[in-house]
Amino acid sequence: MLEANQLSKSYNGTTALHPLNLKVEPGEVFCLLGANGAGKTTTINLFLNFIAPSSGMAAVGGMDVVKHPLESKRLLAYIPEQVMLYRNLTGLENLDYFTSLAGGKHTQNELRGFLEEAGLARADADKRVGAYSKGMRQKVGIAIAIAKKARALLLDEPTSGLDPKASNEFSQLLKKLSGDGAAILMATHDLFRAKETGSRCGIMKHGHLVATYATADLGHAELERIYLEHMHD
Amino acid sequence: MLAQIMKYEWRNLQADRMPFAVAAILGLAIAYGAANGSNWVRFQQSNIDAALKEQSTRMSSIRAEMAKLNAGEKKVSAFADPRLPQSFGRNMGLHYVVMPPAPLGSLAVGQSDLQPYYFKVSTNSKETFVNNDEIENPVHLLAGRFDLAFAVLYLFPLVILAFSYNIVSAEKEAGTLALALSQPVGLGRLITAKVVLRAMFVFAVSILISVAGVAAGGAALSAEGALPRLLLWVGVTVLYGAFWFVLAIGMNALGRSSATNAMVLAGVWLLLVVIIPAVLNVAVKAMYPVPSRIELIQAIRVAGEESTREGSKLLARYMEDHPEMAPAGSSGSAPDFGTLLVALNDATERKVRPVLARFDHQLQQQQQFVERFRYVSPAIVAQSAIQDLAGSGTHRYQHFLAQVDAYHRRWRDYFVPRILRKQQLTGSDLDLLPQFTYQQEDNAAVMWRCTQALGSLCVPLILLGVPAMLALRRYRVAG
Repeated sequence: MLEANQLSKSYNGTTALHPLNLKVEPGEVFCLLGANGAGKTTTINLFLNFIAPSSGMAAVGGMDVVKHPLESKRLLAYIPEQVMLYRNLTGLENLDYFTSLAGGKHTQNELRGFLEEAGLARADADKRVGAYSKGMRQKVGIAIAIAKKARALLLDEPTSGLDPKASNEFSQLLKKLSGDGAAILMATHDLFRAKETGSRCGIMKHGHLVATYATADLGHAELERIYLEHMHD
Repeated sequence: MLAQIMKYEWRNLQADRMPFAVAAILGLAIAYGAANGSNWVRFQQSNIDAALKEQSTRMSSIRAEMAKLNAGEKKVSAFADPRLPQSFGRNMGLHYVVMPPAPLGSLAVGQSDLQPYYFKVSTNSKETFVNNDEIENPVHLLAGRFDLAFAVLYLFPLVILAFSYNIVSAEKEAGTLALALSQPVGLGRLITAKVVLRAMFVFAVSILISVAGVAAGGAALSAEGALPRLLLWVGVTVLYGAFWFVLAIGMNALGRSSATNAMVLAGVWLLLVVIIPAVLNVAVKAMYPVPSRIELIQAIRVAGEESTREGSKLLARYMEDHPEMAPAGSSGSAPDFGTLLVALNDATERKVRPVLARFDHQLQQQQQFVERFRYVSPAIVAQSAIQDLAGSGTHRYQHFLAQVDAYHRRWRDYFVPRILRKQQLTGSDLDLLPQFTYQQEDNAAVMWRCTQALGSLCVPLILLGVPAMLALRRYRVAG
């Protein structure tokens, strides 16, 4: 569903991402680990076509995102570290707005249903987003993904700054979405979540994907050890 | 989808009250400008009415006076005898030439508060009654009243910029742009929806309040050509506003911060609306200096004095030769003073003509220069079009001055032969006096000029719009 083929990005001679080959199949959760500046966000931005690749190709559902910017986004949902919504609109209105950008037409009840599915308390749907916590905004982000029936999710450190309970709820949602067949690419610093929710994880360093592991084969401690080994220069 | 974007955009705008405060100020400014313009038009009209009333009362009393004099009931000196063509045509029976305010005069006061809109025509040389030497340069944008044109040309763009300077940058800064563009929607479409919504709002506020204000102020909207002109005015306003929207989009497309956008756009506003017109004004005066007004007045006085000296010499010689023609103090038998005055006027005019010609030539050069270079700022194009439509611009005034000139000639042609023949005027002569009727400017010509202005307002729109669209395609949300 998500595929990077010799995908690279450099800015004025500095390479942010060396040629990357990566495939995330439906139902898979691929966690990108690595220090800040390792190229995780660059990879996600390339899949979103927010930046143009220097070489190679990022494809969503087999479509090159540069050649098919809109079609590929029909399949995508994006949850950044901070899901930034319109502060003056309610959660429900935000959901309505963003799903309508995706061309979706939903009744109020359906929209409320999506928010509930994403774990937002019923009463919160009509509160202005300005009063939302980070976790609540993440849930609206998930509801957008649910509403558009995203086939692929791009998550950029979605659990940073969430309390353990909120983080756990978030992981449950991801598991549910991947269980429904979504391909998920998540950049994260949270080794614990990576092990819990990820089906595979890849370690990035200085723009290279240096190693990938199936999380089922690793224990928590082992993953941390491997990660730290890679981080040593 | 556009409608849906606009719906939520509207809610977002509503939550942020600033643009509405600004729009309210614009609305008030427009209403005030329209009221001011309407007052000015009413003031002009009342002056014209008073002048014409004064003329008709004067004419009735002259008729009564003539009857008394003819009946021998009264005797007056030659200077006060309305039956003498030189007294009547030079002093007592003067007629007004007036340029009534145009139907949409309240749209722009323009130069009409500097240029006389009525004159009292006499047999004397034109300079004695047309003191039109102090013509303010038509590019003198800053001068003048707080009228509707001022609100449209100066404040309207500021409000547009206030609504749109951060149309994309604010969303990028708030992070909502990334989320929006992760949806299958192009940035162009998103901006279109945002701009169309804002434009509809700002244009609606400006145009509705303007039209309502002008109509409430008593503009003759049913007059011939008034409605098409009003439509052209709407066209000019919309295209002028569109220019500022496109400018803001172009600035946003460069991907700078909201603060930078605000600074740059305010700078561009200052440049196009204030500095360029002022520089053009200074440049035109430096390149084609008009002989100073002092010089002109001096020349008129000197010529007048010279002619008068010659005139008195002539008169003295005349008296020596014809002592029997010396004024007897009785009416009807004045010496040929009238003839001398005719000669005197003629001589003065001849002497002043070169200075006036130089004056006119330089003014014409100035105007041509301005016509040629007004395209450097859409504000100047819009201003001259609006003044043209309001009838307070250069073209209509030139048209009026030409009519004044023609009427002055008719007035003279009527009186001079009578003066030379020493033919007394009778009541029936008064019925045959040349009458002045203001000839409306050719409506089609005005429409054509303003349509051209519409065309030339499209040029910067395209010149800015195309690169802005290209820049938007390269716009990067991240990285």
